[in-house]
Amino acid sequence: MNQRQKAKILFAFSAAFLIAVAVAGVFCHDAAMVTDFSRKNLAPCLKYPFGTDWLGRNMFYRTLTGLSMSILIGVCAAGVSAVMALILGIAAATLGKKADSVISFLIDLVMGIPHILLLILISYAMGKGLKGVIVGVALTHWTSLARLIRAEVMQLKESEYIQIAAKLGHSKLEIAVKHMLPHLLPQFLVGLVLMFPHAILHESSITFLGFGLSSEQPAIGVILSESMTYLIMGKWWLALFPGLALVLTVGLFDLGGNALRRILDPNSVHE
Amino acid sequence: MKKKNIIRFFSTLAITASLLAASALFVSADAENQDVVVTMPLTSEPTSGFDPAYGWGAGEHVHEPLIQSTLVRTTKDLEIENDLATEYSCSDDGLTWTVTIRDDVKFTDGEPLTASDVAFTYNTCRDASSVNDFTMLKEAVAIDDTTVEFHMNEPYSIWPYTMAIVGIVPEHAYDENYGQNPIGSGRYILKQWDRGQQVIFEANSDYYGETPKIQKLTVLFMEEDAALAAAMAGQVDVAHTAAMYSEQTIDGYSLLAVETVDNRGFNLPTTEPEEIDGITYGNALTSDVNVRRAINLAIDREEMIENVLNGYGTAAYSVCDKMPWYNEEAVTEYDLDAAKALMDEAGWVEGSDGIREKDGEKAELTLMFANGDSVRQALAEDTANQLRELGISVKTESVGWDTAYDRAQSDLLVWGWGAHTPMELYNLYHTNGDTGLAEYSPYANETVDQYMDVALQCSDLEESYELWKKAQWDGTTGITQEGDIPWIWLCNIDHLYFVRDGLQVADQKLHPHGHGWSIVNNIDEWEWE
Repeated sequence: MNQRQKAKILFAFSAAFLIAVAVAGVFCHDAAMVTDFSRKNLAPCLKYPFGTDWLGRNMFYRTLTGLSMSILIGVCAAGVSAVMALILGIAAATLGKKADSVISFLIDLVMGIPHILLLILISYAMGKGLKGVIVGVALTHWTSLARLIRAEVMQLKESEYIQIAAKLGHSKLEIAVKHMLPHLLPQFLVGLVLMFPHAILHESSITFLGFGLSSEQPAIGVILSESMTYLIMGKWWLALFPGLALVLTVGLFDLGGNALRRILDPNSVHE
Repeated sequence: MKKKNIIRFFSTLAITASLLAASALFVSADAENQDVVVTMPLTSEPTSGFDPAYGWGAGEHVHEPLIQSTLVRTTKDLEIENDLATEYSCSDDGLTWTVTIRDDVKFTDGEPLTASDVAFTYNTCRDASSVNDFTMLKEAVAIDDTTVEFHMNEPYSIWPYTMAIVGIVPEHAYDENYGQNPIGSGRYILKQWDRGQQVIFEANSDYYGETPKIQKLTVLFMEEDAALAAAMAGQVDVAHTAAMYSEQTIDGYSLLAVETVDNRGFNLPTTEPEEIDGITYGNALTSDVNVRRAINLAIDREEMIENVLNGYGTAAYSVCDKMPWYNEEAVTEYDLDAAKALMDEAGWVEGSDGIREKDGEKAELTLMFANGDSVRQALAEDTANQLRELGISVKTESVGWDTAYDRAQSDLLVWGWGAHTPMELYNLYHTNGDTGLAEYSPYANETVDQYMDVALQCSDLEESYELWKKAQWDGTTGITQEGDIPWIWLCNIDHLYFVRDGLQVADQKLHPHGHGWSIVNNIDEWEWE
């Protein structure tokens, strides 16, 4: 099996797993909210593979739902962020010197502030909750992709086939859509997928710190922050399994993203 | 939650590490030991220092001020006994209180404590008016060295309960820095205060009462999990803890459960929804008295205490259970069938999904709890489970205190109350002038108001207890099950401590709301075996 086939399998596997988790989580949501004091503080067993917490909630369902929420929020926020990056990147490269310096300044500004700090600030200002997290993640994650796209478009503008198309009388819009976009798409898609794990981790972090989703929600950040209180009593399962699941999810997104890059990159066709 | 998690995480690390490292420095418990190390929650640290005018000893979490002495004090059954005062009386119109005080009391700087210090303290408290309500006091006047008169704006029969929490400060040594360097005439002297970490008290050898047995008290401020770690490392003598840690056993420590009036309950808005200035007042479902009664009947308090508090609690039926002014008519036994019958009577009929309906409306409520409070969250979840049996669908939601007060005007919120004064009944159930409704949750009943007004005008404390009881239930109306039942009370939460074996913690009076200073109210009577 060559590298490309491996990459395809890897990508298909991670995509299938993540979609399965996301969908399963949505269906588990109601079950994850159920509290039952007759089964509280149970260690992992066959019936409750991830154990139960002090309210008798099934941690397996809670973890699944939490992951699913994180994935959906991450995908949504990263999607918005990537579209912002695409528009701003193209605008910087095509709208002339002034626009370019304004946008470059913006990119430097946002990059200059630590992500998590800016995220907390935005989320808190938006009144926390789902809206705060999504806006926060969307507004902080676009910078590096925007910079990449800007450089790519700059380079494209100078390339011969674009210049020829312009000389032949094609309009700017036509060039952008017909000739530039197909060239940018692979970069954009890979950039987008590689943004997911960041977005997911940041969503869990600010929820963990109490600036994100509210505490009755089965979010992975809430689960982890609650488990801190019980660690000292030896309830390791409350932190271990949700933590591992989060790492696995983020790792799979990263693997999937890299596999996608290999598939889309024409240079690797013959590997 | 907020910053708490970060703080909690690092403080657990830091405290376990530093305590382990410093363990050699600590003196272990032996017979000669006269020192006690006690932990308290971070929130117990007085932000404005140890100044009675700015909340030390007073406010929501009442306790004895230790450093200062008070005119009177509350006994174990929360009646009043003399401390600095030798005698006090109230004029027939209730507008003048005359108090005579001992003449042998000195501040720890050697100056005698006189009536003018008392007058100065009360006038200062009235002017600062920070945490406690002093609007009823017009002026305190020293008549001679040992007599002080309080002139009131309006009759206030429960004034002795205010006198029990206001520590007397020295007029000659009081300035804006008093909170940092307090001088008093109490049982202990403030030796050292490291903000955010610890407070060290030493016994006052010149104390006019019985000499304190414990010579040195160190209070460490930390979260419950850090306190547990500190106890496991053997570094503290008394560690505050919560029900969720109560199953933990620590060698050399035993669990002490102290009964409290630290109650938890939720409000039921009694009016129809109406929007005023952007805030909704009232709730369509709970405005029906039969629904409110049904909810009270459907709460199985014993099950709740067993499940949520691991058995460390007592059922609560009012905001003031076990207090001298508590009316026992409030007791309501769990009876789900009767509750269902009441709902049927009110026209709420069970639908196909088990949720009751009336005119196409589903019986739905939102029950809120304070963000990050795991006990309140568990109580809310359990309440939701129990009310589902009744056919009411309850959604739980965590809220911050920035929005909770406004939202509680129309939705249910888990509250914590409990103080050593009947004023709490007034604060919860008496209407206020602006809206004609009670402050925290819409409710109004003229008869209840009247009983409380008369109770405050009473010149005799004992007599006023009867009126406070009548305000709760007078045989025809009130705030209990048979009355309007605008609040549901769930349980009083025992305050739990891990206490080192050999330390005799003296009998505690019922702790009020707040898990901090109450435990050391009688620290002078503690003893090492």
